[in-house]
Amino acid sequence: MTKTSAIAVLSAVVGAGVAMAFSLVLAQTPGGTTAQPAPRPARTADGKPNFSGIWQANNEAYWDLQAHEARPGMVTQPGVYPQEYARVPAAPVLALGAAAGVPGSIGVVEGDGQIPYKPEAAALKQENGANWVDRDPELKCYLPGIPRAMYMPYPFQIVQSTNKIQMAYTFANAARTIHLDKVEGPPDDTYMGHSVGRWEGDTLVVDVTSFNGRNWFDRAGNFHSAALKLTERFTPITPDAIHYEATIEDPETFTRAWKISMPIYRRLEANAQLVEYPCIEFAEEFLYGHVRKQPLVKRWESETMIVDITRKVPPGDKFYDWYRR
Amino acid sequence: MKSRLLGALAIVVLIAGITGLLRLARVPSDGAGSAPAAAGRTAWGDPDLQGIWTDPYQTPLQRPPQFASKEVFTDQERAALDQQRAAILRRDQRVERGSERDVAGAYNAVFQSVRPTGKRTSLVVDPPDGRLPPLTEDATRRNAAEREFRLALLQPTETCKKGDTACAGGKYGPVSPRRNELPPFYNTGRLNRNDGPEDRSLTERCIGAVLPDFGGYRRIVQSPGAVSIFYDTGQGQGWQRVIPVGSSPHLPSSIRQRFGDSRGRWEGDTLVVDVTNFSPKYSYQAARDKLHLVERFKRLDANTVEYSVTVEDPTTWTRPWTVKQELVKQDEQANRIYYEPRCHEGNYGLPTMLLGTRIEERAFSQGQGPDPATKDTATDFGNEGGVDALTGAGGAIF
Repeated sequence: MTKTSAIAVLSAVVGAGVAMAFSLVLAQTPGGTTAQPAPRPARTADGKPNFSGIWQANNEAYWDLQAHEARPGMVTQPGVYPQEYARVPAAPVLALGAAAGVPGSIGVVEGDGQIPYKPEAAALKQENGANWVDRDPELKCYLPGIPRAMYMPYPFQIVQSTNKIQMAYTFANAARTIHLDKVEGPPDDTYMGHSVGRWEGDTLVVDVTSFNGRNWFDRAGNFHSAALKLTERFTPITPDAIHYEATIEDPETFTRAWKISMPIYRRLEANAQLVEYPCIEFAEEFLYGHVRKQPLVKRWESETMIVDITRKVPPGDKFYDWYRR
Repeated sequence: MKSRLLGALAIVVLIAGITGLLRLARVPSDGAGSAPAAAGRTAWGDPDLQGIWTDPYQTPLQRPPQFASKEVFTDQERAALDQQRAAILRRDQRVERGSERDVAGAYNAVFQSVRPTGKRTSLVVDPPDGRLPPLTEDATRRNAAEREFRLALLQPTETCKKGDTACAGGKYGPVSPRRNELPPFYNTGRLNRNDGPEDRSLTERCIGAVLPDFGGYRRIVQSPGAVSIFYDTGQGQGWQRVIPVGSSPHLPSSIRQRFGDSRGRWEGDTLVVDVTNFSPKYSYQAARDKLHLVERFKRLDANTVEYSVTVEDPTTWTRPWTVKQELVKQDEQANRIYYEPRCHEGNYGLPTMLLGTRIEERAFSQGQGPDPATKDTATDFGNEGGVDALTGAGGAIF
């Protein structure tokens, strides 16, 4: 990647963060006070825990599932000192100052906190992280997959019925149906997986399979293959909080099964609702800017900084290579 | 050879554009699945609209003029129309072997399903003549301005030279200076220009689904206070919607959305959904942000949901108009509608169309090829490919 080719992307990511802050709307009553939240029975009419509503994780898993200290930038480069801890923000995010960093986290991986990669997979994870801007499917607005959609920094809605539970995600307008009744599998592998659920007492257990292996877990390059088999467990903590855990089995990538867990919180704002985040359009400049007739994003000039952008056709682009012959 | 590939890619992109209407055949193995014996209620007492639903028949949006006085077809008429339409699709017809059009025809034969002709002669039930009401003067002017711009870009192509219907109203001539202009409105259709993504149709950009949607399949899941509808429509253009049901107000008018803002309420056993706050970046026919829909969903029996939508935009139509469809329940267990909306994830057509044009421009500037402005990458599949002939401009149904 050229030094500056990622700036447009990073701007988009930061833009996404800003948009996120506005992604829930509070309805004000005419008097100007916030309306009371709708009643939320703890149980459904058929006696199950009531998960219907709008939810959102509130942690740093979307940056990195594993425990990590804060980083000075979403993209960094070596600083004056050679040590890892002395890195500085790289050009794509430099203009964002202190808003460009990555918050630290105690992580969501259970046990020793390590993801048990096979050696070749561990190397690929490192490579993914180093090429985050080029490789992360989130930046392209691809369907985020499960479990990633569960802890992205956007609200999602659960519509819980008796035989089906629908989950609607803000990011990329993604969705999945959890089938509690008998159903055939999908005709092909999928981004969002095929979810089949059952109740074990008050816990909703969901087996997710039929992945296509193109998803990541987070922005740190953690990934899985199409062999992923996910077992999710949703257990109520209170009517407004769910203990969510997901056991990850993928013998092509990991040496053993491992588990993530986190609380997911109900959005309690009155009239909270999902607001569209139409990121396919948002990502067009990132994805296709290099094949425009007149590139739109070439240079950014502020009072204190000039950033020049060099767009290029992605290496290995099979169509481009075909034309070039 | 290069231009041949480009043409083939153009076909792929073009074919992707027919989706609102022509889709994969996904006929259920049997009708009912495990629906309740009578039009049921949910465990919490709401009317039960849940399941996978589709309109299994082909019905034109507007009543064709030759059926002006006829609201419903006889069975014999339906059978005759089915035969006619099979011939239009030219499944058994080959043109010059190996030509672009031959390839396009094969693709079409696979991807254009033929649904049987429906009982009604039009989806529009009001106005009673089954025709859309007249456009307002303003909408007529907007449409004319858009058409004029499209024709200016088509002007130097073979399509206009041959006088194809795609060029109707236009003329053949040199490259128009309008090629360097913006369209009169944010473009949602297919322009004969590939300067950037905005020159291509929303469908080619994988954001082609619209509300209202009369084709495809929808899965409805309900909970108290919410109705979720997942639309499996187009080729990968599907989308998810959650309708709040209750008394909450619409979003502030400053928030405009591609699929608008839906608010549902129960009127007796009918779910009534009011949809406003549409975005000016998308269009349904000539309507944009002023579009207002009132949808009604009513379970008629175990296998049928009646869907109607009243479409209103006083800047576009001289009066509101209404469509009615009977949606038929599909087998839940077969789950045949599970097609992820993943057009965007595999969208090679759009960047390749742009890149191919960049390469052609370079070749032209070096005197090694024709001016790409003289090639038709918007409509040039008319007589044989049949796609435009079937859908008409803007992809309106039938």
